[in-house]
Amino acid sequence: MSFIISTQSELLKTKRTAAFWLSMIGAAFIPAIFFLVYLLNSKKMILQFKMMPWEQHFGLGWNSLNSFLLPMYIILICAMIPQIEYKNNAWKQVFSSPQSTAEIFFSKFLTVHLMIILALLLFNVFMLLAAVVPNLIYKGYPFLHSKIDWQSLIRLNIKSYVSLLGISAIQFWLSLRFKSFIGPVGIGLALLIGSIIATGFDWEHVSKIPYAHPVLTLRSLAAERMSKPGTAHPFLQNHEWNSLGYFVFFTLLGFFDLRYRKEKG
Amino acid sequence: MSTFTIETQSLNYSFSKEQKTLQDVNLKVEEGSIYGFLGPNGAGKTTTLRLLLGLLTKQEGTIEIFGKEISQHRLAILKNVGSLIEQPSLYSHLTAKENLEVYRKIYGAGKDRISTVLKLVDLENTGKKKAKQFSLGMKQRLSIAIALLHAPRLLILDEPTNGLDPNGIIETRELIKKLNKEHGVTIIVSSHILAEIERMASHVGIIHKGKLLFQGTLPELQHLKNKQSFLQIDTSNNDAAYQLLVQNFAAEKGAGLLKVPVNTKEEAAAINRTLVQNGIDVHLLQPQQNDLEQLFIDITSNN
Repeated sequence: MSFIISTQSELLKTKRTAAFWLSMIGAAFIPAIFFLVYLLNSKKMILQFKMMPWEQHFGLGWNSLNSFLLPMYIILICAMIPQIEYKNNAWKQVFSSPQSTAEIFFSKFLTVHLMIILALLLFNVFMLLAAVVPNLIYKGYPFLHSKIDWQSLIRLNIKSYVSLLGISAIQFWLSLRFKSFIGPVGIGLALLIGSIIATGFDWEHVSKIPYAHPVLTLRSLAAERMSKPGTAHPFLQNHEWNSLGYFVFFTLLGFFDLRYRKEKG
Repeated sequence: MSTFTIETQSLNYSFSKEQKTLQDVNLKVEEGSIYGFLGPNGAGKTTTLRLLLGLLTKQEGTIEIFGKEISQHRLAILKNVGSLIEQPSLYSHLTAKENLEVYRKIYGAGKDRISTVLKLVDLENTGKKKAKQFSLGMKQRLSIAIALLHAPRLLILDEPTNGLDPNGIIETRELIKKLNKEHGVTIIVSSHILAEIERMASHVGIIHKGKLLFQGTLPELQHLKNKQSFLQIDTSNNDAAYQLLVQNFAAEKGAGLLKVPVNTKEEAAAINRTLVQNGIDVHLLQPQQNDLEQLFIDITSNN
């Protein structure tokens, strides 16, 4: 019960902050571009979407999302939530209130994840709208009379979420460590760029780099589609298990780092 | 069980190996008192208060609040403690009400407490104004409102009047007195200004360079002050006067004058009579009182 109260308190703190708007705008960014392309370039796009329109639409959307925007969003949102305390000099009040360190740490981390889940849900909704609304204007689009493979879409969502867990735990730990915003964001961005290069080169250890995991999830899903029909695929790939491992390790590290800090607030 | 709301024993703390920030601090704060925690900047006031709240991990000694050891009963103790440490900790993007709401449920306070404490600190009409638009005085008052949300038994206030204009200082002081008198809240309030403490505290602790130099009631501090009253005397023959007064009155020579400690008016009269009866003309007989300000400076500079 007191953990729920701590989380409510954390959510209230995000009211009117950039963290909330970042989740909205981050989720809307790619669908908005798609929407404009579908409206302004309808002739070409209608031709392109003749076959499997929803698969193409969502495939393109998630590809753009997972490669850069999603990890970047995780880096930013993980930094923004602890920054609410640093910026307002409020850690001391938080630690002087009757909440255990576990309640403080995990309610904040849960808030980060609620934001991430909100952003992912909104992304799906905006992607749907980005296809449906142009279709209402240009009847040539096939979206309205094609079926969406909901099962695949949900699977894609869950696997992408799993693939970003590792990054979230590392970035949250860094963001609690650093007083400044620029520290964790700079480190995160450097690691993200490094992992993009590593993915580009198909480095054999790329599945061990958490910042590459969202892209690897998309690649593995693409590979599944190319494989022979009827082949069994495990729900989680190796890199996704790695992501879960990083998540557990860095969440615990972050918690104990905060728990045993000598000077709080 | 101790009878004190706060009791520390042999509290030692150091941030680095070379320098001790606190040395053997034995704080005793009686229930129902306003304890003025006085010391120059950097004396160890904030360190002590942070230790009381568990914001710093205790290194040596014991801290008991409400008769319970802080390291074992921290959360239970904090449920009955309100605090304000240094600058206000407000969420600048939230309104006064929202700032209180952030902490209301954590302390298990009822919804009505929000309007009660806002009224108490005279901030009930700030409406949709965000905390960042508040003046420093308003921010400080809102911070006190947060500290009062759960009607705590103990308030820990670190320099609550720092940076306030004279009006804000008076308002804060009156609020502290009112809380103590009408709500029976025990308050420990730190300051580096003696006059400030004199005007509201019932008890005083003076800390300097990490050591507690004085601890007692305000009258006890004033008594100490009286002990330090003396007469400045100038005569036609200071050497002879010194000889006369050194034995019975513990006179001292200094800067062409004599200094004689006195406690009563009668003593001053007796000194004068002694001098006149021995044929010494008295040119100057001036009572000098160490005011508390001077005493504070003396206490903190002697060590």
